Amino acid sequence: MKTNRFIWMLVSLLIVSATVLAACAPAATPTAAPALATEAPAVATEAPTAAPTAVSAPVTLQYWHTHSDPETAQLDQVIAAFEAANPGIKVETTRYAYNDYKTALLTAISSGSVPDVARLDIAWVSEFADQGALVQLDGKLPDFDNIIKDTFPGPLSTNKWKDHYYGLPLDTNTQVLLWNKADFDAAGITTPPATMEEFAADACKLTDATKKQYGYAEGGTYFWAPAPVFYAMGGKVTDDKITTATGYVNGPESVAAFTMLKDLYTKGCLSPNLLGGGIATDAGHAQGTYGMIIDGPWMVDIYKSNYPDFQVNFAPIPTGPQGTTSSVVGGEDVVVLEGSKNQEAAMKWAAYLLSPDAQKMMASVGQMPTLASLAGDSAMPPYFAVFQEQLKTAQARVPHPKWGDMDNAINNAYQRMLKGEQTPQEALDQAATEIDALLK
Amino acid sequence: MPTKRRYSDLLPALIFLLPGLILFILFFLGPMLYSLRISFFAWKIVHPDQSVFVGFDNYQRALSDPIFQRAIFNTLAYTVITVFVKMALGLGVALLLNQNFHGRTFFRVAYYLPVITSWVIVSLLFEYMFNGQAGLVNYILRDILRLIPKDIIWFADPILTLIPIILLDIWKGIGWAAIIFLAGLQAIPTELYEAARVDGANSSAQLRYITWPLLGPTIVFLVVVLVIGGLNAYVPFQLITHGGDPMDLTHSILTLMYEATFGRIDFGYGAAISYLLTVFVFFVSLIELRLMKQQAA
Repeated sequence: MKTNRFIWMLVSLLIVSATVLAACAPAATPTAAPALATEAPAVATEAPTAAPTAVSAPVTLQYWHTHSDPETAQLDQVIAAFEAANPGIKVETTRYAYNDYKTALLTAISSGSVPDVARLDIAWVSEFADQGALVQLDGKLPDFDNIIKDTFPGPLSTNKWKDHYYGLPLDTNTQVLLWNKADFDAAGITTPPATMEEFAADACKLTDATKKQYGYAEGGTYFWAPAPVFYAMGGKVTDDKITTATGYVNGPESVAAFTMLKDLYTKGCLSPNLLGGGIATDAGHAQGTYGMIIDGPWMVDIYKSNYPDFQVNFAPIPTGPQGTTSSVVGGEDVVVLEGSKNQEAAMKWAAYLLSPDAQKMMASVGQMPTLASLAGDSAMPPYFAVFQEQLKTAQARVPHPKWGDMDNAINNAYQRMLKGEQTPQEALDQAATEIDALLK
Repeated sequence: MPTKRRYSDLLPALIFLLPGLILFILFFLGPMLYSLRISFFAWKIVHPDQSVFVGFDNYQRALSDPIFQRAIFNTLAYTVITVFVKMALGLGVALLLNQNFHGRTFFRVAYYLPVITSWVIVSLLFEYMFNGQAGLVNYILRDILRLIPKDIIWFADPILTLIPIILLDIWKGIGWAAIIFLAGLQAIPTELYEAARVDGANSSAQLRYITWPLLGPTIVFLVVVLVIGGLNAYVPFQLITHGGDPMDLTHSILTLMYEATFGRIDFGYGAAISYLLTVFVFFVSLIELRLMKQQAA
């Protein structure tokens, strides 16, 4: 009996320890073994001439991103070039799906095992900076002033939070007008609209209710969708110092922009898909259902794979009453994370990504450079031209950690006016009150 | 020496329980208690030590937030409707499948198939079917049945959006309820029916006086499990409403919790929402069990 019990206890102890060890192993190293480690074995890292400037101990940087397949392949080339120029520093990358990315970053930050460098959506930088998760770069990154001197002001401004910069503008994009030539020909219109008045008139000329065809369509009511029209009409969300929204988001220009969109919707010239659950703008535009949409440079590659016969036509966003065009800035920033143990090397890598060489390499796969000096460079794909021109006037969304909530307030106001629950003025008055509360 | 003996009996049992217990504490109880702590703070994820203690602020904020109230309404409506319909139809299907007929196995498989299909795929499928401009449902209602004069934009309306979500859950859940009912039905001894027939009871009397009372435990089990599942609804809401579209009026409690936590980095608020849900589910389950016990007595 006694020995029997002893054996049982021994067995159960073994089971216990095995389970505990198994349970501890993954918990202890949550971020180990990145899925897509990319080292560049082809490049000789022992360049002897660079030895004096090299960091003493070899450093391996973790770089997180959400690049697409072709972009990731190109990024490997950029890393190879960087490692060749900086012996002693290696870059390992981990790729995430966009939808999982924020959660992954938050998990890493809260567990304390962060990547050294990350590519972030421009709308997230102030939010993460406000959490104290990012390293301030001005005054710390050598050559910071020189690097930002050549960058576009719109993308650069997305890195600023409370008078300091927490990132560098890595790539940029904006939205321009896409017009379906076949639809325009059928409606007897020869050129894309140059002014917002022409835009509104064309949208209705291109509409054919019997064929369920609409002149203009937006992907939704979130701010990104009406933003180009909003900014071109002179709309503003807050004052420049981000202290108040009253008089801005409900100012006369902002109200005029949304009134024009609401009128187009009421007349049936703006497709109802923006309220949710309709034909997607990209497919609808290629099939001729939507005469005009407003979208970004990635549409070229999307159409290349989904609608290879469709000819994409870009045009600048039509000018508003003041005679000026504008649009909204999109893109990504590169940031160094607080908690990185290799901040010096991390900043080197971040700075290298902003170099003309790296920017040109990424441009060939559709990543628009943030360097003004590369505009019009022969290495750029030709369709970049219209986007680069638009970027000169494009505006960034409010760089504020509560931007997500502000976006929501405008989104809801847009919904209420489209459904006829409120006039544009009433809806935006309410949005102004809500945003003011966020700014306190 | 009775106590000593009991203790030495307990030790091996404890050791056998330990692996499970450790996992439970490490991955369930620990995080649960930690998130209880988070729910009382304006939580800073990078510097938890700088988090500000706010007492019950997060809870008060949630309870006075119209979006949270709306999420409660949506979740309750979804739960009440889907649990009732799934159980009624599930029982009907189980009674049919319990008969002896040709092709019974085929029908059992057919009813269970939706249960094992992926939530993600069928959610997307329902989203396509209810598309406002090119959807199958509008086509049938408008062009074939001519019931509606113009296309309904389902996902533009916070109430109409719940229809595909509820239909999806019912369609997907009938099979599971039916299988559980079927197991309950087959546990009823056939002698009871034979005796009833001898006594001259017709089939509706058999259903009323034999099947229904003897299914009591099965019904309790189904109500408790389905209600808890309903209150924890997440996947169809998230996929079909994209997190509360339009206007944050179509959140379930869990999609709102997810958005607060990971969308707006408001960990304290998200933790408070999950605790409100936990307490609510706990009391609802208690009441259910009590009521069922009373009914059975």
